[in-house]
Order: sequence, then C-alpha cells, then structure tokens
Amino acid sequence: MHEEISIRKARALGIAFIIFGFAVLALFLPGTAADQTTTFTFNLSSSEAIEIPPLTVGTRMALYFTALLSVALGMWQLAKGFKRVYLVLTFVSLLFVLAFLAWAAKGKSMNLTGMLQSTLLRAIPITLAGLSGVLCERSAVINIGIEGMMLAGAFVSALVGSVTQSYWWGLLAALLAGGLFGALLAVLAIRYKVDQIIAGTAINILATGLTSYFSSRYLQVHQELNHPPTFQPISIPLLGNIPILGPIFFNHTLLVYVTLILVVLIHIILFYTRWGLRTRAVGEHPRAADTLGINVFKVRYVNVIAGGIVAGLGGAYLVLSSVARFDELMTAGKGFIGLAAMIFGKWTPFGAFGASMIFGFADSLQTKLAILSVPIPSQFLLMAPYLVTMIVLAGVVGQANPPAADGQPYEKE
Amino acid sequence: MRKHFLAFVSLLILVSMVLTACGGKATEAPATEAPTQESGYRHIKVGMVTDMGGIDDKSFNATSWKGVERAIQELGIEGSYLESQQQTDYATNITQYINQKVDLIITVGFLLADDTAAAAKEHPDINFAIVDFAYDPPIDNVRGLTFSIDQAGFLAGYVAAAATKTGKVATFGGINIPPVAAFMVGFESGVNYYNEKHGTSVEVLGWNTAENNGVFVGNFESTDDGRRTAEEFMSEGADVIMPVAGPVGLGSAEAVKQHGDAWIIGVDTDWTVSASEYKDIILTSVLKNMDVAVFDTIKMVASPDFEGFHGETYVGTLENGGVGIAPVAAGAVSDDVLKELEDVKAGIISGEIDTGWSSYLASLSN
Repeated sequence: MHEEISIRKARALGIAFIIFGFAVLALFLPGTAADQTTTFTFNLSSSEAIEIPPLTVGTRMALYFTALLSVALGMWQLAKGFKRVYLVLTFVSLLFVLAFLAWAAKGKSMNLTGMLQSTLLRAIPITLAGLSGVLCERSAVINIGIEGMMLAGAFVSALVGSVTQSYWWGLLAALLAGGLFGALLAVLAIRYKVDQIIAGTAINILATGLTSYFSSRYLQVHQELNHPPTFQPISIPLLGNIPILGPIFFNHTLLVYVTLILVVLIHIILFYTRWGLRTRAVGEHPRAADTLGINVFKVRYVNVIAGGIVAGLGGAYLVLSSVARFDELMTAGKGFIGLAAMIFGKWTPFGAFGASMIFGFADSLQTKLAILSVPIPSQFLLMAPYLVTMIVLAGVVGQANPPAADGQPYEKE
Repeated sequence: MRKHFLAFVSLLILVSMVLTACGGKATEAPATEAPTQESGYRHIKVGMVTDMGGIDDKSFNATSWKGVERAIQELGIEGSYLESQQQTDYATNITQYINQKVDLIITVGFLLADDTAAAAKEHPDINFAIVDFAYDPPIDNVRGLTFSIDQAGFLAGYVAAAATKTGKVATFGGINIPPVAAFMVGFESGVNYYNEKHGTSVEVLGWNTAENNGVFVGNFESTDDGRRTAEEFMSEGADVIMPVAGPVGLGSAEAVKQHGDAWIIGVDTDWTVSASEYKDIILTSVLKNMDVAVFDTIKMVASPDFEGFHGETYVGTLENGGVGIAPVAAGAVSDDVLKELEDVKAGIISGEIDTGWSSYLASLSN
C-alpha cells in the first residue's frame, strides 16, 4: 500500500539521503583514526540462542560504507525514484544510526543484541498505554488517566500476587483494577459528561494518592506483601535459538507475547470487524451512528472499560514481568508517553507500537552511549527520545487527525 | 439525572474527607522514659519529625530514630517522634514540639528543609538538627547533618574491583546532582586505586569523573528503568553494579537475581536488611549512618557545657563513623583484600588517599 507522493517531496527525500551520507563523513570521520576498529557482539548470557562470533570492522571502513550507500540510494531516488520511498528512508535512517554507533564504539565493543532486546522491553509498557489510548479515543473518549490506571494495576498486582503467591491472581486483579478505573472514567465522561481532561486528571491524582498511601503504610513496611512471584521468560522452540532475532523477539515472558498479540488483535478488531466499524463511527460522527441504531453509550462504555483493562495490564507488566515489587510512582510517566505514542502513531495500534519502539530505541540508545562514555552530556542524551519524536512528527508523519468527535460528550436528542 | 450526579459528587467528597482525616492525623510515639542513671548529661527532651516515608521506612527515618533510641539508652534523655503523613504535617509537627518546649527538634530529610528553616528563625531559642541537609548560609540554631559519602563509595569501588571476574564494574545514577555523583566519584577513584595497587585494569562503566558524565535514568522512581539499565550493563560484561537512584536500584537487583553472575552494591542503608529478598546478591552497601549523626548531635546538646550550635554543620566521615560500608558478602573477595581495605580506610582518614571529591567539586564551579 504505497502512498503517492509529490515530485517535490520525492526530490527532497533524495537530497536528504545524500545529505545523510555526507553528514556521516563530516560528523564522524574527523575524530576517527585509520587503525581504529569497532567490535559488535551479539550474544546474551540469558538467552538460549546459538552463539555467534563478534564482528570487528574498521571504523573508517564502516563510515565510508554507510555514507556511500546513503549517497547511492539518494542518487537513485533522484534519478529513478523508489516505489516504497518511506521504507528506504527507514533504511537510510538505520544506516545513519549504525554509522553513529560504529563511531561511538570506536576502539571498544558494544552488544547490539542487548540494545535491541532492551528496546523492545522498554517499548512494552508504552505500547500498552498507547493501545489503551487507541481503544478509548477511537470511541471519542479522551483518556489521560492511563498513568493512574497503570499505577493501580501495578499496585494491585503486587499486593494480590504476593498474598496469593500466584502471578495469575495478580494479573487478574490488575486487569480488574484497570477495568474499574476505566469504568469510573466512563461513568464520569459518558453519563455525567464531566470534562474528560478533568476526569482523567482526577483519576491520576486519585490513583497516585491511593497507591502511594497504601504502599508506604503497608507494602514498604511488610515486605512479604510486596514480593509477588513473576512470569518467567519462555524461549519459543527453534525460533528462540536463532542468533540475534531469538533473544530480541522469542525469549520473553508471556506478558510480552500477549502485548504483541494485542497489537495485531486490536488492529483487526478496529478495522475488520463490525464492532470496530461501530467504534470508529461513534468516534467520528456519533449522531449519524445513533441514527443508524448504534447504541453510542454502550460502544463507549465497552471501549473505555477495555482501555482501562489494557492499561491495568501495562501496570501488571511492570510488576509481574519486570521488577517484582511495587514502589511509589513507579510508572514514572510511561502512561503519558504512551499517549504521545498513540498520537504519533495516528490513533492506530501498529502506529502506536512503532512509535513506542522508537521511544524504546532512543532510551536504550542513550543508555548505550552513556555506557560507551560518548562525550555528550547525559541531560542531552535524556532528551533524545523527545527530540526524535519531534523530528519524526514534523518530518514524516505530518498532520495527525484525531477522531472527529474526540473529547465531546454525546447527548441524545 | 442531576440528582444522581449531586449524590455521586457528595459521596466522592465524603470519601475523600474520610481518607484525609485518616491520613492527616499524626501518630505520636509514647515518650520513652529514660532509665534513671547518673550519666553526667542533662536530661533533655528530643523530638524527631519524620518525612512521609514514616518511621518504619527501613531507611532515613528508621535509621535516624535508631540514633535517638541509642541516646535514650546511653545518655538518659527523653525522646519521641511524630510521623508526617503528608507535606502539610511537617510544619504542624514541628510546632507541636515547639509548644512542648523540647530542647532539640530533629527533622529528617531535605523535604523538611523549608519548614525547619522557618521554625528555626522564628524560635532562635530552640535547637534544630536536619538530616542530610545543610543550609547555606547556615542558620545559627540549626545543625545540618551531612555525609562525606565519597569516602564510603571509595571503599565500595575498591571491593568491587577486587570482586569482579570480568574486569568491568558499573554504576549509574538517578539524576546528575552532587549528592548522587558523590557516590560515583568515590566509586571510580576506589576502582582506580585498586588498579594502581594490583596492576589490574578494571574498567568502570557508567561514570567518568573527568568528564562529569555517566549513565543516568533521569528519575528516582522507575524501577523498570533500573532493571533495563542493569541488563544493558550485564550485556556489556559488567558483573558488579552500584545503582545510586533510590528504589530504581531494586529493579536492577531483580535483573541481577534473574540473570545471576553479578553483584549489586546497595546505597544509603544495608540492603541485606532493607531489601532482604536480594541478600544473596548484595556485595556490600555504601552506608550513610544517620543514627551516628543524630546520636552525636543529641550528645552535644545534652552535654552540660553546650552553648548552641553557632550554625555548625556535622560532616559524617569514615573517621567518626558517619559513613561506612556494610560487611562484604562472604567469599566474594579474599581475606587479603579485606585486610587491605582497613589500610585504605586508614589512608582516607589520614588524608593520604584522595577520593577525588574535592577536585571534582572544584571542576564543577569552573
């Protein structure tokens, strides 16, 4: 499904590729000595993948290679034009990142597999928050209470998981807690037509207050209430043994796989089922949907509660699949970043997932660069994810339109 | 419809009022009666105000209270505490002690800095001490209790360099601010000193004093970030990790516990006690001994010839026991190293060994 783009844009992209190529040479070549090498390693002790030897390349060679390839692709784009130019743009961006890494790790080694695995794992909670947002906003209810719903899910999963000593009960409780907060938002926004931003904020404050209070009163005092069992990684047979790809995609806990399946599932539901069509209709033009006999309120209730459940899952992931304990404010803004991912991804599940991956990548890249002690201050590195967002939003995504009725309460006449 | 809404809103208000009422009440500990004994110290009254962590936080408040308890036992003073459930309790609790006319009010943590300063200026006749904070310029009747944590970090770095098998040790912080960097600067210097002594080349990942740069997760809350960061360190071959980011480090501990083959160094308190589920993977902990500082302050006020703080600041060091490291995990390093550690400690106390902190601070102001 390639998009038609204007000749001007096509030319601009071609020139951009060439500039990328020259930028690699101009930025990274001057500080690189002729005999320096960069070593990429690929093995993780935690995985069952077949081990492969490290790859050592001359840093200059790598720079020349990536630069030439970008320039060549740019020239081809100017002369003939690629059919799927955005795919090529992604490829060129990756080349640029690769050249950057080769430069950053010159004279040292870096583990690429570890960085990419971390990218996916950092993206999971953000993806779940984004999916929660997609479900709610597609039916025209703005949900900025995702952060609070995740916190509630995290708290409850730690508590119930510890008491029952079962992650299944912990998970179930988290889904329930998320669903309840979803229902609260739904009642406030749909039935009482409270301003949705205010309702969402109220939920954030309520969840933060409740979880912090009970955490400092009980969970931090009685450690046995804050020590749930966790989901263990499952290596998928054969696939998990593939070098590089195995550890990145096929050696994770159940909750990670569930998240990836949810991305596909919600996409199918939204765009290929009757329910999805109704949801979108309610989000775009509730009056018309109502005229056709769709129960606008019911569609919104179900979607918002489902969104709450998905946010609860995000909280459960943080506790039951990552850190095995609850601490105050442990979501640390991931719910809000998820909302940004949703907008960035144009209110689609795959878009939200892709955006989350970019956030995750920027995060693990900045950690990696700091480990390699690249001379860029940490404050700037921490800005990287947001910088990337702005560039991609302005440059590639262009205008993103929310569902037309987003945020407006519906009143039956 | 409207009626329902009103009912709902009133219910919400009612619930929140009940919750606030539950939370707002400060819990008062029964004043512990001193065993009657002739100690030569004045029988003073000491009140401690906790921050929101509460008296059982296994960290700042609990450790500070330990100091008061010791003073009750050894000096025969009278001590009690008030727990703060929310920020508005700070001033209220301090006022309550002022009304009780206590001799010394100890406030725990920099969160109470503003309220403590305000109360101290209003009541110059009452003595105050604040844990882990110092005013600049100093207030005459307040003693700031601070810690040269770089000295303890140095020892931890020395132990880490001895314990590593891969030749790579790591540290990361929450945000790059001096109280956090102090741990990391000392740590790096300790590793370098070990290299110098033993001709090894153990590498420190995640912090570079010369460049004032390192790995920072950007917050003190996200345990998930702590886990991911630890995993990235391990994928680069580090097998000792010191997280200086509060609870974020517990996420790192979980990562190490799952993947094995690495150590965690705790900070502030002894993590084999405060995070006992990870005790098997704790190499040692870098300790801020707030109890020592608090006890020292009470002793000072209770002594018969006390004439006020005069804005003096307490600095916890290896010498006065204000900072230190917890016992090293059994079998992690050889007995020789443990013996050397005593020499290193003596060297830091005498000033022969430089932790690099003063030159780091000087480089910041340039």
